[in-house]
Amino acid sequence: MNTLNHKLSIKYISGLLVLFCMTFFSTGCHDIEDYQDNPRGNFDALWSIIEEHYCFLDEKGLDWDGVYNQYAPKISDKMTREELFSVCADMLSLLKDGHTNLSSPWETSYYRKWWSDYPQNYDARIIEEYYFNFNYRQVGALKYGILPQGNIGYICYPSFATVIGEGNLDYILAYLATCDGLIIDIRDNGGGNMDMVDRIASRFITERITAGFMIHKTGPGKNEFSEPFEYFIDPAPQGRIMWDKPVAILTNRSTFSAANNFVSVMQYIPQVKIVGARTGGGSGMPFSSELPCGWSVRFSACSVLDARGNTTEFGIDPSPGCAVDMDPVDTFNGHDTILDFAINLLCQ
Amino acid sequence: MKSYRSAFRGLAAIFLSVCSCFASRAEDPLRPVSTTWSVSAGSSHIADTYLTPLKYSGWSASIGYNRLQVLPWQNADSWVSRLGISGDIDRALNPAGNATMWGAEFHASWGAMRRWKITDKIFAGVGPALRIEAGCLYNQRNSNNPASAKCAATIDAIGFISWSHSIGKCAFTLSYQPSLPVIGAFFSPRYDELYYEIYLGNHGGLAHCAWWGSRFKLDNLIALDIHLGKGSLRLGYDGSVMTSRVNNLTTRMIFHRAVIGYTTSWLSAGAVSSNHAINSSLY
Repeated sequence: MNTLNHKLSIKYISGLLVLFCMTFFSTGCHDIEDYQDNPRGNFDALWSIIEEHYCFLDEKGLDWDGVYNQYAPKISDKMTREELFSVCADMLSLLKDGHTNLSSPWETSYYRKWWSDYPQNYDARIIEEYYFNFNYRQVGALKYGILPQGNIGYICYPSFATVIGEGNLDYILAYLATCDGLIIDIRDNGGGNMDMVDRIASRFITERITAGFMIHKTGPGKNEFSEPFEYFIDPAPQGRIMWDKPVAILTNRSTFSAANNFVSVMQYIPQVKIVGARTGGGSGMPFSSELPCGWSVRFSACSVLDARGNTTEFGIDPSPGCAVDMDPVDTFNGHDTILDFAINLLCQ
Repeated sequence: MKSYRSAFRGLAAIFLSVCSCFASRAEDPLRPVSTTWSVSAGSSHIADTYLTPLKYSGWSASIGYNRLQVLPWQNADSWVSRLGISGDIDRALNPAGNATMWGAEFHASWGAMRRWKITDKIFAGVGPALRIEAGCLYNQRNSNNPASAKCAATIDAIGFISWSHSIGKCAFTLSYQPSLPVIGAFFSPRYDELYYEIYLGNHGGLAHCAWWGSRFKLDNLIALDIHLGKGSLRLGYDGSVMTSRVNNLTTRMIFHRAVIGYTTSWLSAGAVSSNHAINSSLY
């Protein structure tokens, strides 16, 4: 074995000592901002999270620096946690975003006006009782049947958070195969799993279609966004039951998030009409973060555009001539105005 | 057909000549394999701004396997090979103590160190190693950004310095074994990019060059091997720091762990029966 001379030995040992010391000092290379766990620190952390990550500040015309100037004076070191929560929740409500919440141990803040300022346009009981006399099929959360008012199939999908299997879709579409048209009711569907959008939409197309574009923030700067990324939906694999007859999709303001995305995809399929009221939007994919006091915050960080590059954050209008609201008199008489409109549309 | 045969013969000749370089001859010293199994436990300090702007602290545990052997090269006693495989698991809480981050990572590295004798009792070595790491951090409270994958392939500088001594009948070896990635590649999602978008096919900006400006990592092992008959009891400290900044995301993972392990050296039965000199790897 070779022997190291004295000078080289000293250098080698010194080098190792320096290396070891770097363990304790090298973390300063990449700083992470520290916020104090006090009212000011928590407020600043929340304001910064939104400033750096929220993807719709420009589209919603928000001057976030101005918001800071408006709300920061309301913060004091003597305020209680509940008072701090109230100020922070008020600030977040300016985003007018159903995907933005602040969660503390006693409350989760919600911006509700995106649906509460509009007619509900839906009553599940009317359909179950007056249209089906409670005789409909149900698989998971999904209800379906053939409407006696015409040879029209009806599927009610109340939440994209419930998984529907390919086999389930085969059975449902096979059962409805003799119908002349199909109604998919996604009123009050608050969203859920985006994979379900692809799975259901794939039964109504014969070739690959552009589903939309995604844009995410690439840095904390105001204008740091990625190039739109185009993504696609392919037809369901051969052997699956497909549907190429007319389709009406029923929507209301509570059609939100993944359900809104489903409408944004289906609206450009030729045999599909959107019937009812403007959807609730919610095209921002939510991210999570947190404050030093332990409250979690959820907000839109990634914008999903439709196949033509339009934002759907503010909702999607019904197809031309298909905007319908529920008539209270019809409701009183056991009729769903929007469903009746769709049946007539498909029977024409 | 003849050309195939001659090509095959040529390849066989090259293969046999390479093998002969590694094959031990009668006068070659024996090269015992020194293997260490160890477990370690201690503290973890984790921050990943893709998941949260806060710094988490908690515990960390690891299990590791280390294999050292003098290489069968010319001037054989000057080179030692080192194979290291380990798996870590970490659990850390946010400052408020109401959110949990889990971490899991697998490491494998192989390298060779040129070694020198400084004095009769002190040995030192340095050399390159290839390291592969894969794992992820998982934040239980997050919705669409619950996890941050950690993958890297790097060329490291590895080294050791060891000092053997005895007090009475107790012989021991104190060693320091650092490992420092120098260059390589690593994975990072883009700022605010969902893994769903990556899954849909947007793979741009995910692979990055790892150098000290973008990703600095340093592993330290200080070990006291107390020689007990045929094996050695290892007690020590395992410290690791990793900090990276890319895509406007910062990650910091620091671990301090106490190590306990057992080291044995072994030879094949045929080799023990012959009268070779023994060329140990670390001591």
